[in-house]
Amino acid sequence: MLTVENLTCGYGDIKAVHDLSFAVGTGEIFAMLGANGAGKTSTIMCLAGHVAAMSGSVSLNGTTITNQPAQARVGHGMALVPEGRRVFAELSVEENLVVGGHTVGGPELTANLERIFGHFPRLAERKTQAAGSLSGGEQQMLAIGRALMANPQLVLIDELSLGLMPKAIDACYEVLQALKADGLSILLVEQNTTRVLDIADQVIVLESGVKSWEGTGADADGNAALLEAYLGTAG
Amino acid sequence: MLYLELFIQGIIQGSIYALIALGLTLVYGLLRILHVAHAALFTLGGYLGVLVTNATGSLALAMLVAMVVCGVVGMGLYKFAYEPILGSPPFVPLIASIGLFIASEELFRMIFGPYGLSYAVPPLSGQVALFGTFSLRQAEVLVIVLSFAMIAILGWLSLKTRTGIAWRATVADPEIASSFGIDIQKVRYLNFFIGSALAASAGVLVAVLNNLVEPTMGSVPSYKALAIIVLGGLGSVPGTLAASVALGVIESFGTIYAGNFMDRDAIAFAFLILVLMARPQGLLGKA
Repeated sequence: MLTVENLTCGYGDIKAVHDLSFAVGTGEIFAMLGANGAGKTSTIMCLAGHVAAMSGSVSLNGTTITNQPAQARVGHGMALVPEGRRVFAELSVEENLVVGGHTVGGPELTANLERIFGHFPRLAERKTQAAGSLSGGEQQMLAIGRALMANPQLVLIDELSLGLMPKAIDACYEVLQALKADGLSILLVEQNTTRVLDIADQVIVLESGVKSWEGTGADADGNAALLEAYLGTAG
Repeated sequence: MLYLELFIQGIIQGSIYALIALGLTLVYGLLRILHVAHAALFTLGGYLGVLVTNATGSLALAMLVAMVVCGVVGMGLYKFAYEPILGSPPFVPLIASIGLFIASEELFRMIFGPYGLSYAVPPLSGQVALFGTFSLRQAEVLVIVLSFAMIAILGWLSLKTRTGIAWRATVADPEIASSFGIDIQKVRYLNFFIGSALAASAGVLVAVLNNLVEPTMGSVPSYKALAIIVLGGLGSVPGTLAASVALGVIESFGTIYAGNFMDRDAIAFAFLILVLMARPQGLLGKA
């Protein structure tokens, strides 16, 4: 599905991620863990086309997208749920979703809206409300809904649970399970390690921009030394 | 009756301000550039209005030509003047913009001569009786009707169409908007086209009102439009509209009641200073 080979990326002359390789399979939840500044967000933003790749390659469903502009990537089946959610605060909930489905034709857009409102009844109740007036959990639902409007096969999610109430986190993880059940691939960056390891099929850990561990979710869950080291660095 | 007349004169002036300042707000909202050279398109629109009307006899055609040509020139300004320096600190495009504006005034002088142009047959110079003894010139009625119509259409486009929604999303967060397939570059061109076409329409209307276009007709609008977008709250479209009308009306009353000791522009800036003392973020800006 998504193949990343020897990817180095960063800002200007500063490399944030070095020589990173991994592959996300169809229908998998793939978790990327690491301390603040380890390069997780840089990796996600590079995959989304917002941070320049200096070397290496990224391919999605066999198409190389390494140097494609951000706006072209959604057409290859990739959608982004960015760190901090970044909903369009002054636009209504419905308008945010319409932007998410920008590349989708009219009739399909209507069908997708109905589907998302069916998934997230809270958003349907508030569809004319400005997105900025929603709670953090509702904004995260909106950011996920907005990504799903594009009919993606792979969803990149940066910091799913950061800053959310426990109840909202539960709801987000339920949504992830449902997406996986629908056959979507998910690349998930998280700080909330315990929740991630319960559902992740594969896990990698980044340290200072370099991959320091990889394995299955179950391996990671049972690996006390890893958890301690990781949680230790995470502080 | 005098109050009503002054109020309506204020609305007319405010409509012109709104047409000019909207483009400035649109550019500022999207690119954070203070596009001083915007007023050059207002002047160019005025010239095209007079030239095409004199050549063809049709003011409507002149309006269309002025809006389309200035829209395209506006896109060219973005492409060749602003795009290469987008990554620079904000004062760089500002200085470039001031330079462009000064150069444009000289260019108009060189091409069209220093003394200005007038309509061969001034269009819409008849009177429209409204009620009692109160009447307006046809040109003044046109200003009000046309600017309300154009602003209403623009509002409808931005609120009700997918392109408009995509445009507002891009203003809010270009990076994320592009992740959903929105072509930021197209949005910028569209923005410059619409803003420049509106300024051109204001130029044509002012040329009809005054029956005169001259190389420096953009200099007062250039700084007054800056004052208006600051007054409205930088980047806020509703704020710009409110500030334009407020300033038009204040100036209209001010020239009668304070005209002995302050001229029109001094009144406008005194009003700007007073408002900013109370609301530094502008009328409808966010704190």
